[in-house]
This record gives sequence, structure tokens and C-alpha cells, in this order.
Amino acid sequence: MNINKYPEIVPGHKFLKQFYIGIMTWTIGKAFQVMYKLDKNVRAEFDRLPANFMMMLCILPEDAFKPFFYAKIMPDFVVNYGLLPLGVPMILGKDKEGKLKYMGSDKRGKKITLKLCMKSIDEAFRIFSFREPLAVAFNHGIYIVDGDLPESLAFVRAMEIVLVTLLPKSLAKMFVKRYPSWKELPPVKKWINRVLLWLRVYTVG
Amino acid sequence: MLLPSYYDFCCRVKTVSGNKALEQIPGLLAGMNASRPMIITDKGVVAVGLIDIAKKAMGKKLKIVTVYDNVPVDSNYKIVDDAARVYRQKKCDSIIAIGGGSAIDTAKGVNIVASLGGSSLLEYEGFGAVKRKLNPLVVIPTTAGTGSEMTLVAVIADPDRKIKMLFVSYFMLPDIGVLDPRMTRTLPDFLTASTAMDAMTHACEAYFSMEKNPLSDSHAIQAIQTISQNLLHVVKNPGDLKGRAALAAASTMAGVAFSNAMVGLVHNLGHTVGAICHVPHGTAMSILLPYGLEYSLHRASDVIGELLFPIGGPDVYAATPKKERGEKAIELIRKMNQDLHDATGGKHPRFLKEIRDRNGAQVVPESVLETLAQAIMLDGARMSNPEEIYPADALMVYRHAWEGTPINRKKIDKGGKKVKW
Repeated sequence: MNINKYPEIVPGHKFLKQFYIGIMTWTIGKAFQVMYKLDKNVRAEFDRLPANFMMMLCILPEDAFKPFFYAKIMPDFVVNYGLLPLGVPMILGKDKEGKLKYMGSDKRGKKITLKLCMKSIDEAFRIFSFREPLAVAFNHGIYIVDGDLPESLAFVRAMEIVLVTLLPKSLAKMFVKRYPSWKELPPVKKWINRVLLWLRVYTVG
Repeated sequence: MLLPSYYDFCCRVKTVSGNKALEQIPGLLAGMNASRPMIITDKGVVAVGLIDIAKKAMGKKLKIVTVYDNVPVDSNYKIVDDAARVYRQKKCDSIIAIGGGSAIDTAKGVNIVASLGGSSLLEYEGFGAVKRKLNPLVVIPTTAGTGSEMTLVAVIADPDRKIKMLFVSYFMLPDIGVLDPRMTRTLPDFLTASTAMDAMTHACEAYFSMEKNPLSDSHAIQAIQTISQNLLHVVKNPGDLKGRAALAAASTMAGVAFSNAMVGLVHNLGHTVGAICHVPHGTAMSILLPYGLEYSLHRASDVIGELLFPIGGPDVYAATPKKERGEKAIELIRKMNQDLHDATGGKHPRFLKEIRDRNGAQVVPESVLETLAQAIMLDGARMSNPEEIYPADALMVYRHAWEGTPINRKKIDKGGKKVKW
């Protein structure tokens, strides 16, 4: 039997989707870091979690998504510290002072306590292109949770606050089950936070 | 039929039901190459003689290695670790769980530690930590309500951290569920009522959850219909084995439904009352079910309206205008609670303020409602409910459930898009 007749099938790559999702996870990851400083509700959610909390949002199969092409030529500090998107995964964790920090995309050397994996890049693209609400995605089993349930719930709740602040109402409504009323989130607070958030995401973080 | 854009469904528990179902266990275990089972149960089950019934039914064909009966009302990981030690020392090769939710969840926990090794159950906390097939597990429920014989979840407490830990994996599904009406015959009337209402809640919530699908719906509808038709009769005639078997089947069907479609707001509110005030799960569910439906009505009125068919029957369904079916279904559930309250001589509480402990003291004082409302955010059941709830609204719902008055639906915070299944 000629084994060469049966070559291993190499999965295809969807570079554009991968790149788009990489930018989105990078933006949202940085937004988490900023919102932790700006919003007391986000801060309360993460402060409740253990000091070793480290979560990763990724797409399955994990090994299929290599770091972006420029990661090889850029110095480590530019990509590993989240100054540019390195790849698809998003890692959030607590630093030595217990503050939430975006920790880039590279899981090497990090002890992940909670993993939220999306089943495929197409599903991830549907979510990040605002066609699938977060709650529906969760209920349709698009996420595979590996870790503690209360930690994943805290992340989802904080994610809703971050997205409501980050995105205009028409888009954010797609993500959340119920858009907060004026009583729950006064427009002045929302707009101040939104301006600060966008400014800091692309500057000091 | 509502066909979602995506759904998944898994039910691979062999169910053995009938008046002589217990007699099948030795053969079923032999088919899985197991011959040294350990029984896990609680002292209440032993005291009413159910273990003797099971042993007698299995006869000399199966040698029970040991009976572990130290399971408390709220199981915790220390008990699980202790039972796993006994399992290893006695060289058992399978588990038979006999009891309610606590005994069954303990057995699932013991099976993890005994099959996978390790010193403590804590090593397997959370989702997806159990990644391979476990030893044979046979479950014999003694209440017709929890549906645990069909679920992939175990809820086990950590008394040091004062939390309830969740263990979830498809490998935790029992291999065999045995439904024998002899095992539920001794259940007192008020427990029959509350556990069956727990099953009713599983089925109703599965039917309007965001994860509903045609396969879970069929189990949910049949479960609701069977409970509606049999519950009051069985409470009034506890010796009716046929009715008992029907309730056991309904509980199992509800278990299949909610294991796949998940539960929602009622469980979110009920878990919190259970965790903080130690209200029995079935009691909390029966009280909060109409409130959970009422709160979600504006989001899923069509779907909740469809519940009227199995609850009220075809005549009531046909005679009620479409817009009013949801409200009518809720009204009938309240009436069911009232009928059970009357049939049990007041032992089946209708409102939170009516729940009393053995000494007659109030279990849920009004002062604790604020704490309960804040604590709802920590429970995972909230994810699958079609409507979002935050502490301010939860407090409003708890106050009404405490007083026994319907919710003022105009006061519910609304917003966002209509539910997309």
C-alpha cells in the first residue's frame, strides 16, 4: 500500500476573518482594562474573583490560529504587551497588584484558570460582526467553558457593560439581552465613559 | 413548532421503569461488567425501609458490597471524598444511588473521584474537568422531582467557602435510571407535592428557555401534562402506584428537557432562596414558578401561552383567546398550588412567608429579601432566561412572592430586542 496516496488534510485559513477578529479581541481586551479603572461595576465583578484569575477567550482548534505575520519581525514588547494585536486569543488576568490587565494573545508562561472557547472562526465572526447576540451565542453552545462557572458569569456580565459603553446603542443592543435603562446607566455617565474609553484604548490603556 | 437556528440534544441514560424495575438491576450491572456495587443513600431513605426493598428485589443475584448512608440534606465535597475512600477500600466497581437530589449528586461526585483518581473532588470543579468515561452508575430516585437521573450536572457544596460548586460533564450522566413506584410510595403528601412541582418547574422553564428545541419541548410538554393530570390525585391517594409511576416518568422527562434546554429565572431566584435561607428546593420552585413566568411573559408571551394546552387541557386552551393564554396558564399554576395547599392540610406553602421550619419559625423573614435580591447575580441559571433580571427587579419579585400577590407587570424594567430562538 502506498501511504502517500492518503496525504494528511491541512485545514484552510481564513486570514481576513482571523485578522478582523484579532483586532476586535485586542480592542475589547484593552477596553476591559480601561473599564476596570473607569467603572465601579466592572471593578466589582473582577475584584470578587481570586488573585490568580487569568482567562482566555479563544477559538477552536486553538493551534490552528498562528500569530499574525508581523509578530515575527516586531520586537517582543510591541506585541506581547498588547500594543498591537498579536493573534486571535484574548487573555485577561490580574497583575501583582490585583488589577485587571489585558495580557495580549500569547498564553505561553501564563496559568489560565478560565477558558472560553468559541467552536469555530465562523461562529466567532458572526458574534464579532454583531449578527449573533452574546446571550444567544452562549445558549447555542458556541462557547465551551473550561473552568469555574461564577468566573465565566462575571466575565459575561462585565463584557455586557464594556460593550454597552464601547458601542453605539444600535450595535450594543445586539449583544445584550436587555439594554440598560437611563435609570441604570445615565446617558451623561455613558458618554463620558465612552469618550474616555476610546481615547485610552488607543493611548495609555 | 419553534425551530431554532441551532440546537443540540443529548440523552443517553437507559431508563428502566415499571413495578418490577428494581429486579432488573443485577442483570443490567452484569451487562456493564460490574458486580461489586456500593449503595449511596441518606439515613432518611434507610429509615423508611427503601434500602431493604431494593436489596430484597435484587435478591441473591447481586452482592451489595457496602451501604454508605452518611449523605446530608445538602451534600458537600468532604462527604464525597469520604465515600470515595470507602469505595476504594472496599474495592467496589460500581455505584447505586438511592435517594433524592443530594444522594444522586453525591454519587456522581464519588464516581468522579473513584474513577479518575485524585485525593479530592475539588480537583474536578467546573465545566469540562471530567474528560473520560466513569465507572457504572445506577440511579434510583426516591422522589419524583429532581430529574437528576437524567442530568450531566452535580451541585455539591464547599462548606469552608460557603458556596455551591458545579460539576458539569457529559461523562457524569448516569448509565441507568431505575423508576420503580415502590421507591416513591412512602413519600409524604407535602413532599410529593413540592417535588412534583419541582419537576413541573423544570419542564415549564425548559419550554420557554432560550435553549429550547423541538426535542426538549416534546419531553417538557408531556411532563407538564402528566403532572397536571396526576399530581392532585396522587397527593389525595398516596397508595396509587400507577399515579406514582406516572409522576416518576414525568419527573424523568422533565429532567431530559431541562438537561438540554436548561432552566431560567425561577431557578435563579430559587437557588438563592435555598442557599441563603435553606428553603427546600421543591418548595422554592413551587412558590416561584408563577412569578418567573409572569416576569418573563412580555418577552415570550406566545411560548408561555402554549403551556396552557398541557396544563389546562384542550378545552380550556381552545376557549381562551391567544393573548390571554399565558396569563391563564399562570392562573392555573397558582390554582394548582392552592389545591395542593388544601389537600396537604396547609403543609404545601403558597408564599415565601408561609414557609416554616419544624419548630414553626419563619424560614424566610422579610428582612432577608434585600440580601436575596443582591445574591441572584451569582447564579448561572440566569443565562438561559429570555428576560434579564437585576437586583432591583428581583427585589420586587421576591416581595410579591413573599406576600403572595401577583407582580405588577408595568413595573418590570424592559428593553432590548425580542427574544430570538
